[in-house]
Amino acid sequence: MATYVPGLYPWPFDGDLSPRNTALIAIDMQVDFCGPDGWLDQRGLDIANTRRAIAPLQRVMAAMRAAGYPVLHTREGHRPDLSDLPENKRWRSRQAGLGIGDEGRLGRVLTRGEPGWEIIPEVAPLPGETVIDKSGKGSFYATDLDQILRSKGIRNLVITGVTTDCCVQSTMRDANDRGYECLLLEDCCGAAEHANHLAQIHMLTLAGGHYGSISTADALIETLAMMEAA
Amino acid sequence: MLPQVKSEPYPWPFDGRWSPADTALMIIDMQVDFCKPGGYVDAMGLGVELTGAPIMPTRRVLEAARTYGLHIIHTREGHRPDLADLNPNKRWRSARTGAEIGQPGPCGRILTRGEPGWEIVPELTPLPGEPVIDKPGKGAFYATDLDQILHRLGIRNLIFTGVTTDCCVHTTMRDANDRGYECMLLSDCCAATEVANHEAVLTFTQMGHGLFGTVAPSEALLDVLEKQSVPA
Repeated sequence: MATYVPGLYPWPFDGDLSPRNTALIAIDMQVDFCGPDGWLDQRGLDIANTRRAIAPLQRVMAAMRAAGYPVLHTREGHRPDLSDLPENKRWRSRQAGLGIGDEGRLGRVLTRGEPGWEIIPEVAPLPGETVIDKSGKGSFYATDLDQILRSKGIRNLVITGVTTDCCVQSTMRDANDRGYECLLLEDCCGAAEHANHLAQIHMLTLAGGHYGSISTADALIETLAMMEAA
Repeated sequence: MLPQVKSEPYPWPFDGRWSPADTALMIIDMQVDFCKPGGYVDAMGLGVELTGAPIMPTRRVLEAARTYGLHIIHTREGHRPDLADLNPNKRWRSARTGAEIGQPGPCGRILTRGEPGWEIVPELTPLPGEPVIDKPGKGAFYATDLDQILHRLGIRNLIFTGVTTDCCVHTTMRDANDRGYECMLLSDCCAATEVANHEAVLTFTQMGHGLFGTVAPSEALLDVLEKQSVPA
């Protein structure tokens, strides 16, 4: 039976939605991006803009876990020796003072193993859920994400997390080129500046959806509930 | 070594290390299908007034890049004639816009390799020896040999031009940045099908002291190049 989540277009395009071929991916819900005293907070950015994603994402995670969908998480961060940190990324990050690898209020910024690098407790991975550690904005480059998705038989991706215009967008673009059918949940994402979130969402609506569809936490949860009832 | 280019949010490249030998001009998807009447963008009803505008500024940069010996790399989005490399959802979405990839249009089969619409516009035709990357996606790194070619040529700095700013140009620039390339976007040599989307990409690029690199007008690059003596 074909099932669709209402949104920019009924998703997935062919109605083939099941826990066997569909996964939730929560991008970079780390203290450094959306927690108090994390990197964004220390740089004086308003983390209310990224924290808007937390409550809707919690509901989506609970619903998808209950229905048996795989849940994956990503973390942006570098090895403690910074051997995976491009020189220009480090240089740019230091222009505002506190840079990647530097000691901040929650340990070294965006460095693996530090408190700021951890996923926030509200949406922490459960034991057995895949966590992808990445050194870039996109989650496919220099990681095993593609291999893991293919070995699980995943073709549809429900995309959530932060930030909308940076890591979420890079990952969605790369997933789409690889043939994954993507659904972005608008209210489960956030950007450091809300205007950029809105501009990014607008860009995604072009030509009826170049990279996938757009919907909300409630629309997905209602679809799952209908499937359960059927 | 050349002087840094005046760009935002910092003079490019970040460390001042650039020369024609380690730098490539990337010309993304300046194809009939995206910037000429009768092509794919036109068939979707979006018009080519915006996407055709970068042709002449890019031509000027291309000529300067050839004169001063920068590497030049062209990309083309398009699919094999049997569409074996066309994702089913990409095909389905394009059909919904009324311009299905692989179907006949005024410039031959839409976004299909070998068709007139898929060709690079005549103003920017690649010269023999300039690599042309054929890609089935928006990004020029996925399912192509671009990274291998850049590595082999010793290129670390990339200057981006082409269309569309928010789609193939920025997907490629994001992927290049993750791979450690130092990137600069020439604002007047790119365009989107909506001005607001072009502007938004320029904003994203410059956030966080250059999340993906820098933005400059082509004049800033030409100012630096044209002060150099022309290599023999």
